[in-house]
Amino acid sequence: MTFKTKLLASTAALLIATGGAVLADGHATHPDTGVALASDQSFTYSVLDDFPSIDPALVEDVEGASVARDLFEGLMTEDATGTVQPGVATGFEVSEDGLTYTFTLRENAKWSNGDPVVAGDFVYGLQRAANPETASEYAWYLEVMGVENAAAVTAGEMPLDALGISAPDDFTVVYKIDAPRPYFPQMTTFPTTFPQHRATIEAHGDEWTRAENMVSNGAYVLSDYVPAEKLVRSRNAMYWDNDNTIIEEITALIINDSNQALTRYLAGEIDVVMDVPAGQFPRLNTEYPGEALSLPSSCTYYYQFNQSDSGPEALKDVRVRQALSLAVNRDIITDNVLAGGQRPSWTLTHWAIAGWEQPEIAAASMTQDERNAMAVELMAEAGYGDDNPLTVEIVYNTSDSHQSVAVAVGQMWKQTLGVDVTLANQEWATFLDTRGEQNYEVARSGWCADYNEPSTYTDLLTSGSAYNDGKYIDADIDALAQEAKFAEDAMPLYREMEQIASDNAYFLPIYHYASVRMIAPDMENWPTENLLQNWYSKDLYISASE
Amino acid sequence: MYSFIAKRLAIAVPTLLILIIFSFILMFAAPGGPFGGERPPPAAVLANIEARYGLDQPYIVQMFSYVKNVVFHFDFGPSFQYRDRTVNDVIAQGFPVTLTYGAWSALVAVVVGVSLGVAAAIRQNTWLDYLAVGITIGAQALPNFVMAPMLVLLFTLGLGWLPGGGWSGGLLIDACDAGDRLCFNNPFGGAVRFDYLILPVIALSTSYMASIARITRSSMLEVMNSNFIRTAMAKGLPMRRVIFRHALKPALLPVISYLGPAVVGMITGSVVVDVAFSTGGIGQFFVNSAFSRDYAVIMGITILVGALTILFNLLVDVLYAWIDPKIRY
Amino acid sequence: MITQTDVKMLEETAHLAQVRGRSLWEDARVRFFRNKAAVAGLFVLIAICAFALFGGLFAKFEPDYVDFSLMGANAYQGVPSLSSGHYFGTDIDGRDLFARTVQGTSISLLVGIVGSLVAVVVGTLYGATAGYVGGRTDGIMMRIVDILMSIPFMFVLILMLVIFGRSILMLFIGIGLISWLNMARIARGQTLTIKNKEFVEAAIATGVSPFTIILRHIIPNLLGIVIVYATLLVPEMIIFESFISYLGLGVQEPNTSLGALINAGASQMTNGTLWMLFYPLGFFLITLFAFFFVGDGLRDALDPKDR
Repeated sequence: MTFKTKLLASTAALLIATGGAVLADGHATHPDTGVALASDQSFTYSVLDDFPSIDPALVEDVEGASVARDLFEGLMTEDATGTVQPGVATGFEVSEDGLTYTFTLRENAKWSNGDPVVAGDFVYGLQRAANPETASEYAWYLEVMGVENAAAVTAGEMPLDALGISAPDDFTVVYKIDAPRPYFPQMTTFPTTFPQHRATIEAHGDEWTRAENMVSNGAYVLSDYVPAEKLVRSRNAMYWDNDNTIIEEITALIINDSNQALTRYLAGEIDVVMDVPAGQFPRLNTEYPGEALSLPSSCTYYYQFNQSDSGPEALKDVRVRQALSLAVNRDIITDNVLAGGQRPSWTLTHWAIAGWEQPEIAAASMTQDERNAMAVELMAEAGYGDDNPLTVEIVYNTSDSHQSVAVAVGQMWKQTLGVDVTLANQEWATFLDTRGEQNYEVARSGWCADYNEPSTYTDLLTSGSAYNDGKYIDADIDALAQEAKFAEDAMPLYREMEQIASDNAYFLPIYHYASVRMIAPDMENWPTENLLQNWYSKDLYISASE
Repeated sequence: MYSFIAKRLAIAVPTLLILIIFSFILMFAAPGGPFGGERPPPAAVLANIEARYGLDQPYIVQMFSYVKNVVFHFDFGPSFQYRDRTVNDVIAQGFPVTLTYGAWSALVAVVVGVSLGVAAAIRQNTWLDYLAVGITIGAQALPNFVMAPMLVLLFTLGLGWLPGGGWSGGLLIDACDAGDRLCFNNPFGGAVRFDYLILPVIALSTSYMASIARITRSSMLEVMNSNFIRTAMAKGLPMRRVIFRHALKPALLPVISYLGPAVVGMITGSVVVDVAFSTGGIGQFFVNSAFSRDYAVIMGITILVGALTILFNLLVDVLYAWIDPKIRY
Repeated sequence: MITQTDVKMLEETAHLAQVRGRSLWEDARVRFFRNKAAVAGLFVLIAICAFALFGGLFAKFEPDYVDFSLMGANAYQGVPSLSSGHYFGTDIDGRDLFARTVQGTSISLLVGIVGSLVAVVVGTLYGATAGYVGGRTDGIMMRIVDILMSIPFMFVLILMLVIFGRSILMLFIGIGLISWLNMARIARGQTLTIKNKEFVEAAIATGVSPFTIILRHIIPNLLGIVIVYATLLVPEMIIFESFISYLGLGVQEPNTSLGALINAGASQMTNGTLWMLFYPLGFFLITLFAFFFVGDGLRDALDPKDR
């Protein structure tokens, strides 16, 4: 079966195109919604940390990726719900075996200096990301995509042109991957795959990402970047869909202190706050209804038990691990400690991942009293009690919210099970070393999805995963993971893996993240259904205040 | 005196070298590295990155080539954190920011602190003294991480007078915008704008001001009790003249000792101030680079701080000799 | 414990003063107790020590006990109240703020006192020696201070954590390592002028050994500024402790300090739970006032010129 996918431009885009000129003039209305547009179509948002990089080949964090998505455009993009839609490519074809993707590029796409965007730019971009000389920390993303020979090229064992991407002509890009991946097209919305302008990069070297040098093909160009202070991007007149872009200028302010960012939002200096301090959502939601938004964010917060040789004997006992897991009242943590729309978690896989259904986990449907009773029983069976209390140390990286969670969990264990809990915080780099070298008993962990499919989480359950800092080994899980790679329908296999992990309490899932944002009432079209928190400034607009 | 200064400047070079070696040892011995983070990349990728920055070399080689580049090319190397910037770029961007608000803070702290201290001392145990003491202790009890958010709440959210943060080019800019407050166009070109400067200066200078006031007060009291001032007073010289001509200079000696390191502290900025007001100053770069193990930036800023410390302590010694000509080094 | 260290500090200064003869020390004591503000400060300081030592007996809750119904989103219900037993309310994690303030005060008092004691003893001796001996010795000693002031101290602390593990002792060592540097510079600066005074020159002429001159003539004349700077160091060290603890070396949850409590309270400033900031900040403020008046009284009492 060869199936051809031709993604049509969304009806919204068509409406915009037929709606006439929508330049930011005071009396203009939005062609789609008919809302009156503000005369000043620029906005400011705040991010917590500076951008490690905005070079598409190097981007490694969520906020940097958002900037890259504005500055560059990949083969595919996403709409507000995260559905894949045409970007520079107008569509793609998949071969029968699911291993070859052929993308057709639009001919009117241009770089900000007027050069046409051609297939070679995509090949160059991907090769540059894989090139050992570029030394991109995100080169592993190409392996996750399954691009042919990605690992060997990154390791320098094969030449760049062995990478599974080619350009038969200027408007055709062909990807070759190692296994069928139904979610592959969505991965081309990720910055690592974006096209790059060879002449610019060769002329300026590492400094090509500076505002005065950068040439980009997205809806915006970089107009100013002051590290640790702000990043400004403004409309790219060369962008092929520039006529339908409404926002003129976007300023990202780097504010390391989420409380300060919130105060400045309330003072009207900022239109969107990306990170609202934990625990403040309920109050903000009451005081500023409609401005405080809680969106599911595809990350899971969990504790790892050190089950390696260096770990304590007690944690090698499944009854102890089960008891510790059962005694954690996740509802208190999500509703009281964090209170930002997070959800209790019993699996690593985030509840909102496409197509995911949680396996039947007995504990999940019990009341907390039942769980506590069961936990007490398991602890007694394992030989721990008042006369022989278990002692456990929780290590976490220094942060107010990690501390609050650890304090709560510690008290739950103490109050329910009589466990003697000590807490230890460490500065980030020290903490990573401690955890990575199994120098701990219980350690805080978090994992975020790279793509919208359960394997982005379930891969961590395998013994071979570099992030399995608990160092447990389960042959069944490993076998299932192998099977899932080539399975027609992998979903039941993923569920089974989670089931096994949960039965053995290999780790302690606590909650699924949510991001809490403050968004000014006149900011329109902010996507609320995109699980990976991807947003494109070109889809936003600012309504005129009455 | 000139030969003394020349000698001290010559000693600065080996002192800085020892500082570099010390810092290198500390950095390499500390756990964690600049790359990897929560999800360490595959070994091959990590190897590529380390090769790129020369981190695969033995420590001693890295240190040697670093010193060579610094000494012969004044090149502090590329920043690990910002791929498109060198350490020189990072310092060139961040240092002017902290230098601006730090120098103003130093000025405010010295002027207000010394005045308050002198006033309190010559009116010891009067309401003026108690007020000065109250202000200075209150100022010290309000750490800047408490004061900074309070200032923003008051002046930005409450009164709407000043921006809650940012730097936007700082003090000297090309021209004022229509809505800018506290911005003054210079008829000979350019403009001076104070709105982004005021809150950082208040937050940074307050506790220094308090310390200076307390030291001045105590030292002034001591000098006022000394024989030569008592003699001068007994001679019937006017109070004002005694204070300014005779008492103030020796009384400032300990203040100057304190100011050496304090001024370096102020002009190299405070991470609390940089974070609270997102000024993009060097204080924040230093702490962030230490946390992210950006060795090159850590070293660059350490050397900057070291050089300034040496310079200002030299300045302090020169001032001593000026205040008390009897001092010989 | 606190009172002990406190007494030790008094003894320390007493010892320094003693070398000038008992009558002078008696004199100083009389003068100190004649100073009403200083005596009041001393009483407040003793009261704070008593609070830190015995306040826990009055707390209705353990400092680490979490009331899950008063935490996080419900923190606004943890208002200070006599009837609920949370006299100072609860903190953001639902723990009794009274019990935690008691605990925080005792740790922070210790930190402040240890920090200033190290500064007074090490810093003064080091600075006075450098200043008095002068020449190359002075140059080397002061360049060492310059280097220690400039090294990235954070890595020293991290290494201490990695090598020795976390403990309160390590916290005090960390505090002690940094607290004496400025004191040394100030003491040395003052020594430079003092050593040219007639009484020092007279002592040299009569063949008194340099060490005795430093102890008997230089240091007593430094005491005024040393005491003032030591009281300035108290708040600085209390705040610095929260940075050390941030790195993981110092006070670990569920234990706490005033710096940590103030920090936590400040981050909830806009959240309508101001008591979380004001109680620890209040204790901090009162402690500083007490230290100031005691220090000021000591300075007046010990001033050798003020006879």
